[in-house]
Amino acid sequence: MLELIGRRALGMVPVLLAASIITFVMLAMLPGDAVIANLPPDFTQDQLDERRAQLGLDRPIVVQYVDWVTSAVQGDLGRSAITNERVSQMILERFPVSLQLMVMTMILSIVISIPLGVLTAYKQGGYFDRTVTAVTFGLLAVPNFVLALLLIIVVAVELGWLPATSWTRFTSDPIGSIRTGLLPSIALAASIIAVLTRLLRTDMISTLQDDHVVLAKSKGLPTSRILFRHALRPSSFSLMTVLGLQMAALLSGVVVIEEIFALPGLGRRLFAAVNQRDMMVVQGLVLLLAVLYVVINFIVDMLYSFLDPRIRHGYAKAR
Amino acid sequence: MRSSSSIYRRSGLWRILAILLVLGLVAAACGNDDDDPGEGPDPADPDTTEPDTTEPEEPDEAEPVRGGRLVVGLEDEQNNWLPGTGSFANPGTMAARAVYDPIAVRGDDGQIYPYLAESIEPNDDLTEWTVTLREGIQFHDGTDLTAEVMKRIFDEYLSVEGANTAGTVSEVEEVRVDDELVYTYVLIEAVAPFPDILYGAVGWPFSVEACEAAGGRDGDCGNQMVGTGPFVFESWVRDGDLTLSRNENYWRVDANGEALPYLDELVFRSIPDEDARLNSVASDTIQVAHTLRQSSVRTARDLDDVNSFEAIGNNGGGSIFNTAVAPVDDLRIRRALAYGVDQEDLIDVLGGRDITPVQTQFFSPDSPWYSSEVAEAWPTYDPDLAASELEDYVNDPNRSDGRTPGEPVEIEFACPPDPTLLDIAQAYQDFWGDLGFEVNLVSLDQPTHIGRALSGEYMINCWRAGAESDPYVTLSGAFTDPETNPSNFTNYSSETIDANLEILRTSIDFDERYAAVEDIMFELAEQLPQIWTGGTATAVFARDDVRGFESWTIPDADGQPSILGNGVLGATTLWADIWIEQ
Repeated sequence: MLELIGRRALGMVPVLLAASIITFVMLAMLPGDAVIANLPPDFTQDQLDERRAQLGLDRPIVVQYVDWVTSAVQGDLGRSAITNERVSQMILERFPVSLQLMVMTMILSIVISIPLGVLTAYKQGGYFDRTVTAVTFGLLAVPNFVLALLLIIVVAVELGWLPATSWTRFTSDPIGSIRTGLLPSIALAASIIAVLTRLLRTDMISTLQDDHVVLAKSKGLPTSRILFRHALRPSSFSLMTVLGLQMAALLSGVVVIEEIFALPGLGRRLFAAVNQRDMMVVQGLVLLLAVLYVVINFIVDMLYSFLDPRIRHGYAKAR
Repeated sequence: MRSSSSIYRRSGLWRILAILLVLGLVAAACGNDDDDPGEGPDPADPDTTEPDTTEPEEPDEAEPVRGGRLVVGLEDEQNNWLPGTGSFANPGTMAARAVYDPIAVRGDDGQIYPYLAESIEPNDDLTEWTVTLREGIQFHDGTDLTAEVMKRIFDEYLSVEGANTAGTVSEVEEVRVDDELVYTYVLIEAVAPFPDILYGAVGWPFSVEACEAAGGRDGDCGNQMVGTGPFVFESWVRDGDLTLSRNENYWRVDANGEALPYLDELVFRSIPDEDARLNSVASDTIQVAHTLRQSSVRTARDLDDVNSFEAIGNNGGGSIFNTAVAPVDDLRIRRALAYGVDQEDLIDVLGGRDITPVQTQFFSPDSPWYSSEVAEAWPTYDPDLAASELEDYVNDPNRSDGRTPGEPVEIEFACPPDPTLLDIAQAYQDFWGDLGFEVNLVSLDQPTHIGRALSGEYMINCWRAGAESDPYVTLSGAFTDPETNPSNFTNYSSETIDANLEILRTSIDFDERYAAVEDIMFELAEQLPQIWTGGTATAVFARDDVRGFESWTIPDADGQPSILGNGVLGATTLWADIWIEQ
C-alpha cells in the first residue's frame, strides 16, 4: 500500500508541472493583465508601467514561471496582485467552504441515488421506475445554475425555508452551516443523483439476473438483504468510477454555484482571479485542483480493492 | 417610493415549480443579465425626458427608530479597504462610506460641501486649499483626527509610489499643516474643482496608528477599516460578510439632537449574481441591495414589499471611436455611424425604455452642467443623412482606409461577452449593416476589452463614460493629449477643448465654467469621437421598512443636519441616517 501511495505521489509531479505550465502559458497568452483589470482612477502610463514592474509582469514569461515554481516548492505560492493576500492563506480560509459543499453534495447524491437506483432496478418497468426515470432525465436536462436560481425563488423567496444567499462556517454553527449549504448542495447534487441513479439501475438489473442472486432468492432470503447485500456490492464498480469522476467535476461545478449563492469558497475566487488575470491566485488554485484530482482518483482506486477482494489479492499476487 | 406587485404569486407548489421551470429555462436561454453600456429615452418624448428615476422617499411621518440590523447585498467584493490601495468602485464605496466619513460630500444640488471639514477655502489664485477640520472628531481606535494625521495619510499612503491615488493627487505638491485642525493642500497649479476629490478615497481619513499596527500598506491594514464614520469595523470574510457595529461615539446628531447612527449593526455581503441578489432581498435574507444594471432596476420595481430608489447619474453607455484608426478617423464615417442608429431602439434592445433617458452629452438632465441646446444639437436617427455621409466617403478617391472608391467600408465593433451587450452589438450591426457597412463583431472579456482601448488597438468599442465628478476631472481625463494621457481612449483632442479645460481648471465662476463645458459638449456633438445610447440607471432597493436612503443630510458648522445629500447616485448612499421602521 505504501509503495502504491509513493508511486502515486511521484506520478503527481509531472501532472502538477504540466498543469502549472499550461495554466501559466495560457494566462500569459491572454491580452490584458492584473494591472489593466484593476486600473486606478486618473492613471498615467508611468503608473501603469511602475505597477507592472512592482508585480514583476514586465519580465519574460519564462522568468516569471521559474520564479513562481522556485517559490512554490518552498511553500510560498505568492500573493494576489489584486488583493495582496497570501495565496496559501487564501486557500486555507476558503478550502473548508468548498470542501463542505462538496461533501454535502456527495452525501446527498449517495444517500438519494443508491436507494433510488436499487429500487428502480427491482421495480423495473413499473410505475415507480418510470416516474424516477422521467425525473432523473429532467434533472439531467436542467443546468445546475438554472436549478440554483429556481431553488432560490421557490425555497427561499416563496417558501422562506432556507436563506437565499449566506454562509455560516461549520465551526461556528454546524446547524446553521448545513442550512446555508443545503440549497447549493442540492443544486450541485441534482445532476449527480440522476447520473448515479441511472447507472446503478442499469448495473443492478444485470446483477439481479446473476446466478448468485437467483440462488439467494431460491433460499428465501429477504428482498432487502438480496438487494443491498448480494446485488448492490457487485453493481457498484461503475458507480464508484463515475462517483470519482463526478467528484472531480464538482471542483469546477462549485465555481458557478459559489458565485450564485455568494459563498466564500475557492471556486468563486478562481472565477474572479481568471477575470482579473490574477496569475498567482490562478496558479495556486490550479495546483490545488490538480492535487485534488489525483487524490480523488487514488481514493477511487483504493475503493475498488475494498469492494472487490480479487483486485486486492491480484495486486498482492502480482507483487 | 415604489411598492411592487407580486411576480411570484403563492399557489400550489407544483404550479410554481412548473411555471418557474419554464421561465427559468427561457430566462437562461435569453440571458437577461445586462451590463449594458447605456440606454435611454428621447429628450423630445415627455414620457422619457422625465424618466422614472429616483422616486422621492415620502416624508417620514414616523420618527426614526434606533436599533436593528441590516444586511446589504453588493454586486462585487472589495479588494482592499485602505485608501490609496483599494479600488473603490461603487460596491466598495457603498460599504466604505459606513466606516470612513469623507472630508467633503456632494449635495443634492451637485455642489461639494464640507463634511468632516468645517470649511474648505481656496487662496486667491486657487493654488492652495485650506481645510479646517471639525473639533473633537475621533477615529474608532480613539485617536484624534488632526491636520498632522491628514498630512501623514497624504505623504505615506496617497501619494507614494504604487498608490492608486497617486494620479488623483498628482497636482498636490504638498500638504502643509497650519494648525492642529487646519491644513492646506498646496497645488502645483490652480485647480478650481480641487475639493471634488475629497469626496472620494483621497478624502477618507483613517487611523494611521491602527494601520501601522496592522502592518501598514504591505501588511494587513487593508483587511480592516478604522475611520471616523458612523459604523465600526468588526470583521471581514472576503467574499463573505463585512460586519460593522454602531459607533457609539459618532460625532453627528439628527434633527432632534439624537446621536447617529440609528442602526446597531450593518453587514455588507457581496452577491455578484444579479438574480440571487434580487431574490435575497425578496426573501428577506438580506434587506438592502444595489444594482448598476437596468434589467435589475426593472425587476426590483416589481418585488413584493420592496422599495426601489433609482437614480440616473452622469454615466452613460454608448460607443467610443478610435479616431486614430481608419475609417473612423474620418468625420464622415463617424457621422454616418451616429446618424445611422436609433438610440431609442437600442434602449429597447436593452430593455431600458422608461428607465433611462437618451444620453446626448456627459451630463444627465438632472446635472447642473446639462445643456438642452447640446441635447438638441446631438445627432438623431437619420438614415438618409447617414447613407449620404457614407456614400461620400466610399466614393472618395482619398478615403482614409486605403480602399478603392466604391468598395464597402469595413468596421470592427468590440464588446465584452455579456448577453445583453451581445444583443446591443447585434443591434448596432443591424443598423450599420443596413447602411452598407461591413460590420465585424468582436467579443472580448473585460480586461482584454480595456487593454485594447488602452493600447489603441481597437476601432469601435462599446463603452461607458461620464461620472458625478466635476466636469474638469471627467473631461480632462477623456480628452487631453493622448500622447501623455492613456485614458484618452478616443485619441481625440483639440485646441478648443484644451482652452475650455483651462477655463474649467482655473475658474470658480459657475457661468464661465458652464459655458466652457457647453462648448466642449457642442464640439463632441459635432466631431463625434463617441456616441451615446442612454444614461446608466442604478438603484438601491430595500425592504419597505428600511428608511432614509434619499434623505441623508450634510451637517452644518454646528453638526446639525442642514443640506440634503446626493441620495443614491451611483447606487451608493451614506449610512448614518438609515433606520428601520418597527
